[in-house]
Amino acid sequence: MRTFKHLKTVEKLGFVAKYVFLLGCVCTALFPLVWVFMSSFKTNAEILSNGISLPSRFSFDGYTQALKISPILQYFFNSVVITSITTVVNVFFLAMAAYIFARYQFRGKNILYLLLSLSLVIPMTALLHPVYMTINALHLANKKSGLVLVYTALNLPMSLLILRGTFQSIPRSMEEAAVMDGAGFVRVFFQIMLPMAKSGLASAGVLTFLNCWNEFTFALVLTSSQSARTLPLSLSYFTSQFSFNYTAMFAAIVIAIIPSIVVFALFQEQIVRSLTAGAIKE
Amino acid sequence: MKGITGKRFVPLCIAGLCIALFAACGGKKSGAVIINYPTFQCGVNTAAPVVEQLIAEFNQQYAGKYEIRKEDVPGDQNYVDKIRVQLGTGDVPPVIYGGGYNLLDPALARDVVVDLTAVINGDSEWKALYSDTALTVNSRDGKIYASSSEGSVIGYFYNKELFAKAGITAPAASWDEFFRQCDTLKAAGITPLALDTADSAWISMLWMGAIIATENTAGLAFMQQMTPNNYNTPEMIKAAALIQNMLRNYTTVDAVGGAYEHAANNFLSGNAAMIANGPWMMGDFSDTTKTSAGFADKVGAAVYPGGFVYDAPIQGYFVTKQKDPALQEASIAMVKFFTSAHAQQVALEIQGMVPSSPGVPISDQAKQKWPLLVNFLDQANNAQFRSDNLQATMYPNLLDIVSQELPRLAAGSITPEQFCQLLTEGAAKNN
Repeated sequence: MRTFKHLKTVEKLGFVAKYVFLLGCVCTALFPLVWVFMSSFKTNAEILSNGISLPSRFSFDGYTQALKISPILQYFFNSVVITSITTVVNVFFLAMAAYIFARYQFRGKNILYLLLSLSLVIPMTALLHPVYMTINALHLANKKSGLVLVYTALNLPMSLLILRGTFQSIPRSMEEAAVMDGAGFVRVFFQIMLPMAKSGLASAGVLTFLNCWNEFTFALVLTSSQSARTLPLSLSYFTSQFSFNYTAMFAAIVIAIIPSIVVFALFQEQIVRSLTAGAIKE
Repeated sequence: MKGITGKRFVPLCIAGLCIALFAACGGKKSGAVIINYPTFQCGVNTAAPVVEQLIAEFNQQYAGKYEIRKEDVPGDQNYVDKIRVQLGTGDVPPVIYGGGYNLLDPALARDVVVDLTAVINGDSEWKALYSDTALTVNSRDGKIYASSSEGSVIGYFYNKELFAKAGITAPAASWDEFFRQCDTLKAAGITPLALDTADSAWISMLWMGAIIATENTAGLAFMQQMTPNNYNTPEMIKAAALIQNMLRNYTTVDAVGGAYEHAANNFLSGNAAMIANGPWMMGDFSDTTKTSAGFADKVGAAVYPGGFVYDAPIQGYFVTKQKDPALQEASIAMVKFFTSAHAQQVALEIQGMVPSSPGVPISDQAKQKWPLLVNFLDQANNAQFRSDNLQATMYPNLLDIVSQELPRLAAGSITPEQFCQLLTEGAAKNN
């Protein structure tokens, strides 16, 4: 194996350029996180006067204030419940739908798929009024279940797109072999197809989780009490038209983003694998 | 088959979870009429403790009969957005606080507001709290729809230490003197003004309104007009030109694109000598998370050059039409309580808010807590000209145009005439 000093000059330059580029990517990705983390230790004046300076002292006052000013822990719990249930429900039902779209022919299949996919391009704000009225009519306003229903629906097109591609990439011979061994439709789906679509399920699940975790507008409009409010709303407690507490807000952001980072870190391999899985077909 | 049974357990659990979740029923019932009250006055909002106290007092006074349940809608714009969505669907909360966002007119356009004229005229105590300007702000077509609790008496604050460093002994009496003072401060290496352009440019627009109002009688009449349609007036164009000058020559580098908090920080950090804002900012002068200890002693308050002060009640609370007459009655009781002399006194003592009613005295406790306010109100009482602020009188859609176009005005991409024309065109969309 050749070491760095044995490389030709051009190869050395290429090697260095590659690592400089990678370092640039890492810095770009990490900068916002580090900036938010450092800001949670700065005073309001330090944050507003010089955004990229280091804190003059490390104090956890911001975290104390964050917990005092907004019901962040209650909202955190609500977010965990709503996001988790939405993710499970979304992935479970859409895996079934996506399997049918990927494997079976039926009248109106393409139109139905197109219709479901088209909802990707409808702006969220255009959905506010009809969704608000629907949820009110269902008596699901100000309930976690209302948000679960809305988030499940909002994430439908993306999950369907990912999971359909995933199922299409699984060789048909696997199902045929299972059928030959006597497996029925349900058994083929749950015992053969679902385990093989693990990467797609993880990808759809992670994207649904992140979308739900960060969603703000519907959480604001469809809820009115602390029992159903989610974490993004808690960040609004720290700024108003004539008042602000950025130290506490950045501390709250740190608390809010930790789960997203953990989920992404745990499942990043599956996400990347799944995003390329649809490219290979039988 | 055992394996399949085990695998089926998972989807069955999910289905069960869904059913349990969706079957969850509403909150507990009590004998009292529940008033769900959404408010943005929570979190770091300076009025949050006032609202908390008033709700606690109301619930105690009407225990068993009425009960307010506060719904936090943190963030002023979030509140406005939510109320607009609710107005669009017709499902409105029983009591809405108009604040500085003129929510009364969109609500009236939807015909959801209760006419309070008969109730207020029949209640001498309540009626006595209405000044002439309060009646104007809260009435439409001779009918009273809302009730104010807070007055909006706004001048500007200045840093006495920075003024002294530049050799300035007193706030300017005229606009010519004001701009001479700006030059003097600048020559002394001090940034004269803390300004903003984002989030409807509250501070910059306060200066603009003051310039318009003191230009001539037509300017003052313009400022006293609700929802003007024509901004192509000589007074408005001149004010826009002066604001352009202020943004280019007399403010901090972060003013263009900056929001209120940037301007406030520049003043609180001693980076700028003057800021236009209301008395609610006074609490920040002694908040050591935002400024240095002892800063409050360095701050002076003044009315605007030309003897002008913003003086108008902030559009108050209004009741919306409800199917349940008991809820409507409870809501009227809440509005009366929240705008009573006692409530105004509470807001004054806790927050330093000026009462909307001239009949509410400044208590000794308030005088002790807010000496700067007392000093400012003395000056405000002697001001020659007064009106509501520009943002309170303009159509709500113009606020976005202001935020969008002020940076272009500062950059010279548009002229003051074009700026005014854009506002006029924006206003025309409401007709």
